[in-house]
Amino acid sequence: MELATKKIVLRYHWVFRIREGWGIFHQSLLGKIGLVLLLLFALMALCSYIPPRLDPMYDPMTGVDPKISHSTGPSMRHWLGTDFMGRDILSQLLAGARIAFMVGVSAAFMSIFLGTAIGMIAGYVGRIMDTLLMRLADMIMVMPTLLVVLILSSLFGQLNIWTIVLIIALFRWPGVSRVIRSQTLSLKQRPFIEAARVAGASHLRIIFRHIMPNVLPLSFLYMTFRVTSAIIIEAALAFLGFGDPGTVSWGMMLQWVWKTGHMFKAPYWLLPPGICISLITLSFYMLGRAMDEVLDPRLRREQEAG
Amino acid sequence: MELRRYIIRRLVQIAIIFFVILTVLFMLFRLAPGDPVSRMVDPDMTPEEAQILISELGLDQPLWMQYLYYLRNFFMGRFGNSFHYGQPVVTIIANRLPNTILLFTTSIILSAFVGVFLGKIASWHKGGKVDAWMTIGALATHTVFLPWLALIMIWVFAYKLGWFPITGMISEEVWLNPEAGIVAKSLDVLHHMALPLATLFLIHFGSYLLIMRSSMLETLKEDYILTARAKGLSEKVIRNHHAAPNAALPVVTSVGLSLAFSINGGALTETVFTWPGIGRELVFSVSHNDYPLAQASFLLIAIVVLVSNLVVDVLYAYLDPRIRY
Repeated sequence: MELATKKIVLRYHWVFRIREGWGIFHQSLLGKIGLVLLLLFALMALCSYIPPRLDPMYDPMTGVDPKISHSTGPSMRHWLGTDFMGRDILSQLLAGARIAFMVGVSAAFMSIFLGTAIGMIAGYVGRIMDTLLMRLADMIMVMPTLLVVLILSSLFGQLNIWTIVLIIALFRWPGVSRVIRSQTLSLKQRPFIEAARVAGASHLRIIFRHIMPNVLPLSFLYMTFRVTSAIIIEAALAFLGFGDPGTVSWGMMLQWVWKTGHMFKAPYWLLPPGICISLITLSFYMLGRAMDEVLDPRLRREQEAG
Repeated sequence: MELRRYIIRRLVQIAIIFFVILTVLFMLFRLAPGDPVSRMVDPDMTPEEAQILISELGLDQPLWMQYLYYLRNFFMGRFGNSFHYGQPVVTIIANRLPNTILLFTTSIILSAFVGVFLGKIASWHKGGKVDAWMTIGALATHTVFLPWLALIMIWVFAYKLGWFPITGMISEEVWLNPEAGIVAKSLDVLHHMALPLATLFLIHFGSYLLIMRSSMLETLKEDYILTARAKGLSEKVIRNHHAAPNAALPVVTSVGLSLAFSINGGALTETVFTWPGIGRELVFSVSHNDYPLAQASFLLIAIVVLVSNLVVDVLYAYLDPRIRY
């Protein structure tokens, strides 16, 4: 009985927090625009499974229209036209949405996982561990990720998409870990951590049960910003010709336009991928700023005062 | 005096970080699949030439000796010859560095100043139409995909309108003309620089604008602003002379924090506009398997990043008298 009430209270607590957060989020115009745009992109990613099923010539990578062997403008058969070898641009664009989400979300998830873990360890353990980890973070933070991946791909040959995601994650954690570390440092001084320690909780239990729930919202805030940077890095890499040759990403499409010399001739091909990359980063960015307001009461008050 | 000690401490830190980068790069070159010798020795060399280079780089020695050779060669500026150009890598790098620094520093300084100025205006009109449009504009330009923006700029301003050259840094007819003076030559470079500069500017100024705007709004709540108002100073004086200089400090910090981002952007811009800088050289050498050039360009970019970080930190300490290290 007692346990049951406790559970209800806990659930109410979470529901309440989410509803309160949604209320604030709802007032933010930027957040709403961002969310709507992201839902549209998600729809695009889902739709990417349709064209290849209609006809094999709509396959984004291998499907070539048998009647077309050069780039053509929009038509009924190909709504956005075709690329230099007769592949359908619309289905490439849809497939690109899928890749962008996949790259962005998985790289962001890995990097905030790493950043949160390292930040909590540095903040909680302190001393030499803290110094070492934070110096490492400083060092990685100043490295331009794109150029690091370039050097790695020159040494290790063509990288596949998951290796690229992994490298991006390995280089994008320091920002998160700094924030989580300072949050952990201030949490460590709070009485409830002291109480847990006196009650005999192990270090691991304190970290997972008491510190982690308090830093996770911050980590998730950083996740949206990491998504944008991962998408941009992958796109730039593909644009320069170092992407995974087996995937059709928006950066890859731009690389094809650029390298085949169609940029002055085929605006129907040059415009869509660039607009998509820019809009998806913009919408994740707007979402991040709106979530910032939800999680940071200081910003909220400023908004209310204005 | 304090500042000098701080600078010395930071220099030592930079030296350590750079040493670590140097070591990691050495290990990566040995860990990578394939033969390390073939990575440093030009396939077009005669066996005798190759032998000389191998012994100069110490590639026939045990691994730890190779590492010592590598360090020594680095400090003596011996990076071998570029496979593609056939010239010593140092010559090429020394040739490209000024071009990168010119484009990079001009774009950062320009976008920081304009960002601060516009951010100030946006905060004056907080909540109004000007503010809303500026915020939206800043967000939109800041998140545009840079290489695509560069292509669009070329398409519109160089190809359609023909106002600017499509690529490159100089036109040969100006530079080979013995009668062209320094003014004509500089104007020629400026003409070529306009589009890459505009691209980098558009990408960067937005984030500075947003930071300046919110920092300005924070600063206007401070007590010393109230004091200034109580003294009867005009709003304009308060904003321009009391609030703005303090509010601009976070912009300096953010210039430092976004340096890595700017360097990535610089390399992309140089590549699309074929601006003969270090970033383009790195991209080019990586796609042509020109390992000696790739290695040296990467190390040089690492130095540029570290030194610019130091410059930004020192500038911050100099601008904010409250900070004493």
